[in-house]
Amino acid sequence: MSLADTPHPAHPVRPGGPVHPGGPAPGAEAAPVAERGTGPRRWPPSLLVGTFLTGAILLVLLLTPWLAPHDPAAQDLAQRLAPPSGSHPLGTDQLGRDVLSRIMDGGRFSVSIAAITLVICAVSGTLIGMVAARRGGALDEFVMRVTDVLLAFPEIIVAMFLVAVLGANYLTLIVALVIGGWTPFARLARSLTLEINARDFIEAARALGCSRRFIVLRHVLPNALSPLLAHAALRFGHKLITVGALSFLGLGVQPPDADWGSMLADGQPYLTQAPGLVVHPGLAIFVTALGVTLIGQGIDTRRKAKEL
Amino acid sequence: MTFLVKRLMVLAVTLFVVSFVVFLIPYLTPGDPARKILRARVGDLDADPEALAGLRETYGLDRPLLVQYGDWLGGALRGDLGLSYTSRTPVVDMLGGALTVTAVLAISTLLLALLVAVPLGSLAAVRRGTPVDTAITTVTQAFVAVPEYWLAPVLVLVFSLQLGVLPSAGWEGPASMVLPCLTLALRPMSYFTQVTRASMIDVLGSPHITAARARGLGFGATMLRHGVRNALLPVLTLFSLWLAGLLGGSVVVEVIFSIPGMGRLLYESVVNNDVPAIQAGIVSLVGLAVLITTLTDVVHAWVNPTVRAPHVSG
Repeated sequence: MSLADTPHPAHPVRPGGPVHPGGPAPGAEAAPVAERGTGPRRWPPSLLVGTFLTGAILLVLLLTPWLAPHDPAAQDLAQRLAPPSGSHPLGTDQLGRDVLSRIMDGGRFSVSIAAITLVICAVSGTLIGMVAARRGGALDEFVMRVTDVLLAFPEIIVAMFLVAVLGANYLTLIVALVIGGWTPFARLARSLTLEINARDFIEAARALGCSRRFIVLRHVLPNALSPLLAHAALRFGHKLITVGALSFLGLGVQPPDADWGSMLADGQPYLTQAPGLVVHPGLAIFVTALGVTLIGQGIDTRRKAKEL
Repeated sequence: MTFLVKRLMVLAVTLFVVSFVVFLIPYLTPGDPARKILRARVGDLDADPEALAGLRETYGLDRPLLVQYGDWLGGALRGDLGLSYTSRTPVVDMLGGALTVTAVLAISTLLLALLVAVPLGSLAAVRRGTPVDTAITTVTQAFVAVPEYWLAPVLVLVFSLQLGVLPSAGWEGPASMVLPCLTLALRPMSYFTQVTRASMIDVLGSPHITAARARGLGFGATMLRHGVRNALLPVLTLFSLWLAGLLGGSVVVEVIFSIPGMGRLLYESVVNNDVPAIQAGIVSLVGLAVLITTLTDVVHAWVNPTVRAPHVSG
């Protein structure tokens, strides 16, 4: 890959100098990686931890029907708001349902919506951004102005409005989150493409008579992939939190189904008696968002280490 | 100058498009607007045809779409955005107070975030690669993943219900601002810290810092006079972007703490299907957001002339 010998202009190699009294020389972050001779293949800790966390959570969510200790919808009114015990590791809610099973089951809704919208946003945004950058001219200008307008609309308000109008269901939520969600990807893909387009190897490929499509697929896309993936992973937490916020406001998942946001909202009246009803679903969102965010930061760190 | 003119034209076109989209809201949604108004007001599903005709007359709903748009836009420019379907008071009257509350909330939140983030980010940059840096970076990066609808109840539980030192809801006096601001500040604080750190590392590597140190300027004085001052521009850009975002992004926190701001106003009008209030809310929020970003761009261009070059600005 040609990235190794062409330093990224945004992260130039800084000459060392006596500018860090009390701290190691600049570039200390990347230095140990290079010294060990394993080069960029070594995974930074954030990537390792993030992958492990995310993998574990995904596994649990996939295996929920077999792993869950109880039926998430089974009520036991004699056991209302029970503290954690052997048969209910996280206690029970206001209707005597097992909190652990409900968290495991509720995660499937939040995480799948966040993941699906993210994939749609990333693919469509990348496509639009790359085409805009390659074609340039009026099309480029038009795309950029559209993203300007869309970025001005607060995401949660657009989603709130659409849900109120079209009704809360799986499809509405996805549409609501995609409407503005593709724009950051389009902007990133556009600027990356412009940057890559200016490189010598693109000129060389063009001189060799490669088709436009070949250049985009074999040169532009592979070079833009890692920053785009990192951005996607960093956006995931944001999406997950937004889905939870809509459910929290009663505009996401509808009863009898539940997700982390709606469980958090349902637990609010029992904050003093059973704080776990609020704390645990929130922790689930936090840990999941953190896991995927760490992957994004790891990819970023690894890319910068590669470029130095 | 051409940069300014171009930005202002883009601003005008953006506002025009936004206003048209917002105007179309009741027509994009399924169902007869007159029927919706009646349902919102009396909760009656079997509307009386005469009442419906009367409503169409009052609100001018039977005229061609473009005529209605011209009318609506003209009204909006004069500060008349129609009557709320539910309260029947002019929506503009509802906006003023709510906008002030949200603006105060957003600005105090961001100042709080800045107050913590700039020293923290500078410290991380100066102690780059040490455990101090790792700790600051890791913890602030984790803050991004904290949902505010989780942090808010947890803070209420600790500070209001157990310690009893701060009010759990409402918007009266500085004490009631503490918990909402703290909740909202966490995420911008995280980004501000990361940007301050990156920008400080950049500035610290530049020759004028070495020169200042070589001239015998003390470490603290170098940091204050040459480091932080130069590193702050990217942070201030981020500040204004967050300000635009927080104006519409504080819905959840406003609902949780029952703060009478724009977020709660919009939430309630969406839940009640109060179309004029929704339109007014979105137009004012989006308009403000676009104004703030344009202003940022212009100030940025004024401070840093390379931005004005046509091939960089796009």
